[in-house]
Amino acid sequence: MECEKCDYKNGRLPGCAPLGIGTIPRQCGDSPRYETEKALVRGTLFPGLDLPLGNIVNSSVPDVPAAELMALDFAAHDLSLYLDTHSDDAEALSLYKELLSLAKLGRERYESLYGPVSKSELLDAESYTWLQGPWPWECGKEE
Amino acid sequence: MFVYEKKLQYPIRIKNPNPKLAKIIISQYGGPDGELGASLRYLSQRFTMPYPELKGILTDIGTEELGHLEMVGTLVHQLTRNLSIEEIQAAGYDAYFVDRSLGVYPQSAGGVPWDAVGIGIKGDVIADLTEDMAAEQKARVTYDNILRLSDDPDVNNVIRFLREREVVHYQRFGEALALAMEKLDQKNVYYMNPAYNP
Repeated sequence: MECEKCDYKNGRLPGCAPLGIGTIPRQCGDSPRYETEKALVRGTLFPGLDLPLGNIVNSSVPDVPAAELMALDFAAHDLSLYLDTHSDDAEALSLYKELLSLAKLGRERYESLYGPVSKSELLDAESYTWLQGPWPWECGKEE
Repeated sequence: MFVYEKKLQYPIRIKNPNPKLAKIIISQYGGPDGELGASLRYLSQRFTMPYPELKGILTDIGTEELGHLEMVGTLVHQLTRNLSIEEIQAAGYDAYFVDRSLGVYPQSAGGVPWDAVGIGIKGDVIADLTEDMAAEQKARVTYDNILRLSDDPDVNNVIRFLREREVVHYQRFGEALALAMEKLDQKNVYYMNPAYNP
């Protein structure tokens, strides 16, 4: 779809749209973007889509061991949704690969300290660490 | 197939149990616009979708919604953990407790069990994607209302994240609809249904 330049705050709008069917503007380009930590805090990688109720926003996420991995995985995931509808965006694909590689390292760091996130990690395990808590829905010691 | 990842999409640490709040949040677990319906709607619509972009976005958002189901279940669980009978009675959680103990059951805030009546799978590209856009808006409003009803900062932190995801998904479904339109008859997008064109 052709995108015309306009004053819309974070993107460009299509020049025209057919009648009789819902149309929302396509995001043109994956920039600007938040850093990965901020993306998790705000629930999106893209400032243009960050539209909070009453402009009240989170300033941080709860401090948990997996927070860094969650931020990397989340940024990669949100960018992959963008890529689903913008599969010809080579710049976004290259950033996606970068995020995947960072997330892979983050996963290795996390798993070496806290145990497996996925069962495929048990390949090198000396015991069946899959059952070690806490499980994701538990909040810690008392369970 | 699906493989479990042993982590939440977004961290949840609720300091104070609050069964009164759990009673309303459970609506996003099994209520009319909740995450169970969202995941089943998208993952089921996939089967008849033409075009790789549509198969992709429904698979990826549908999968994310399963993660949100886990998050909402986690909220309900942490808000109701270790409750005494006195706390259960004081919060009016006794009607739920008598049937479910502290189990997490997919129901609306009004106690209606999850029902597939609340989700639309029409087998038509435009109808299904329009349904999905409406569904994201309805879930966004439910999270808005939870934010209006809750003053627990630990809960609201998580709800704001989930609410924002609805806005992002709405955008992506809208883009998916735009992509589908480009592939349809430009003079009459209703000329035929590419998901059923024998």
